[in-house]
Amino acid sequence: MSGPDLSARFLGNAAAAAAGAHSVSGTGDLLAALGRIVPAGSPVYCPGLTELEKAAAPLFPNRVADCMAAEVTVEEVFGAIAETGTIVCVSEGGRAVQAGLLPAHHVAIVRRDRIFATLDDLLAVVAGAPPTNITLVTGPSRTADIELTLAIGVHGPERLDVIVA
Amino acid sequence: MSGAQTSLSFRSNAGKAVGNQKLRAAMKHAADTFGTKRIDAFAPVADVEAMRDRASAIREEVLKNLPRYVDQFVASATRAGATVHRAKDATVAKEIIRKILADRGARRIVKGKSMVSEEVDLNAHLEAAGMEVVETDLGEYIIQLEGEAPSHIIVPAIHKDRRQVGKLFSERLGVPYSDDPQVLTRTARKVLREKFLSADAGVSGANFAAADTGSLVLFTNEGNGRMVTTVPPLHVAILSIEKMIPSLADFPDFIRLLPRSATGQTITSYVSVITGPRKPGDATGAKELHIVLLDNGRTEILGGESRDILKCIRCGACMNVCPVYRTVGGHAYGWTYPGPMGLILTTLLTGMAKSHPVVDASTLCGACVDVCPVRVPLVDIILQLRRRKVREGFSDPKEKAGMALFGKVAASPALFALGQRLAGRFWPVVRVLGGKDVAGRMPAPAKTPFRRKAP
Repeated sequence: MSGPDLSARFLGNAAAAAAGAHSVSGTGDLLAALGRIVPAGSPVYCPGLTELEKAAAPLFPNRVADCMAAEVTVEEVFGAIAETGTIVCVSEGGRAVQAGLLPAHHVAIVRRDRIFATLDDLLAVVAGAPPTNITLVTGPSRTADIELTLAIGVHGPERLDVIVA
Repeated sequence: MSGAQTSLSFRSNAGKAVGNQKLRAAMKHAADTFGTKRIDAFAPVADVEAMRDRASAIREEVLKNLPRYVDQFVASATRAGATVHRAKDATVAKEIIRKILADRGARRIVKGKSMVSEEVDLNAHLEAAGMEVVETDLGEYIIQLEGEAPSHIIVPAIHKDRRQVGKLFSERLGVPYSDDPQVLTRTARKVLREKFLSADAGVSGANFAAADTGSLVLFTNEGNGRMVTTVPPLHVAILSIEKMIPSLADFPDFIRLLPRSATGQTITSYVSVITGPRKPGDATGAKELHIVLLDNGRTEILGGESRDILKCIRCGACMNVCPVYRTVGGHAYGWTYPGPMGLILTTLLTGMAKSHPVVDASTLCGACVDVCPVRVPLVDIILQLRRRKVREGFSDPKEKAGMALFGKVAASPALFALGQRLAGRFWPVVRVLGGKDVAGRMPAPAKTPFRRKAP
């Protein structure tokens, strides 16, 4: 499967799991998308570790150093899986996996060339020497524990946006 | 929970459950919803049967070499920095966990959903030691507030409707009454967030363990499992030994099968793979990770004729389609695990003397076998258990005599015809003699037997 097909498949499946699905080309486009997605003035955790995060960080005047105090996390993630519409968060490189758990809104940026076609493709890469934490995230936190009625936003984020850049 | 001298009272429990209209309505709704969602989730998957074959073969391989995989897991988890404890039974497991927590001064414990912890009755043991144990899965939280046990292995509060939950929350948490699941969920989020952040330790189960890397794999939807395993400084995981999978590379089919079979989801919101505690340079992970591997009778099951039940991956699909479970709900079974897989595990883990009544809790229709993602031969195993029940003298003597008589009568056309005529004529007497349980509920036979009407 080629790049654009993978990206479309990933975004389609992410949207089916109730994530906001976005595709951008270039940094200007990414910043414009973030401007639309992230409510202005909200406390944002953006670690600023990768090129994309460094480019995004100045967009948020109210940046906080601790994800616990943030309402929104904006971060670049390890990768994505087209088959399931999943983003892959790992603890490698000192990444706080809780950044995508504690705030109510998680915005995950994934590079187009980091989209794996299938679960097998991802696991083949990480299976040998996994980092302390790998979390596959598909859509926002949810439950159906009361009468099997879907409720979004239990302990994790109630809103998840994925941006392919 | 084990050790009780009296046998489980499945028959009277089931009798009560059948008369509980609220429960019947909740179970019907749940079963219908799950049934449809499961079918819809598998519909677009091209090679489901091949996928089930592969998953079944991997589980078979694990059982064939279970001691080796367990040893490998212990070595690799230890290498990853975890401390692994092996517990031969429930008493040992509970005490290991209490001691880990007590030695570190842990008072507030947040818990993720774990059926193995229910099996060993962990909460009561920790509470008796003065610890506060808070269940954080919404369904588990609801039944903990109510003081009940789970009635389904995936959806523990499946027997409760929204009004009951609304009333419970308003009474116990002092919030305004609402029966809107979204509002109730928000209430739980608020109350439990505070618990997560102030907890001394998290206790979780695990769906699987990867033997070659020592990783724990957890499937969750709410995010509480992620909280429990990463926010407190100490994480204790309890799992039974048969949850081994050789390698993380073997997981794709299990990720595809388990959520689809369990809740009809393509994948759960979260799949966490945890390998050891926080290491230098990590910003995530509990500082200390203890893993308790529970045997509690598994090694003995492995050496017996019913070993294939250990292939089970606890998806709950077999109970959702079981006509008995759908009618009576999970509590009637009387122990931790309900439904077809549950009655088998209950019998094997707690012994025939205690659990022989639940061996009857199946119609042998085989719907469970049709849906089992790893091809556990549930009906064959239930039949094995029924033979054992008879061999070991736990069958009802009246039933035994009745069946022997019926065998004789059914083998002779003349006797059978006579029997039909007599039963038709003296039905009111048969009803009284047969007792309320069986004959009392049966419709009267036709005046003219079908055999005489048929050409």
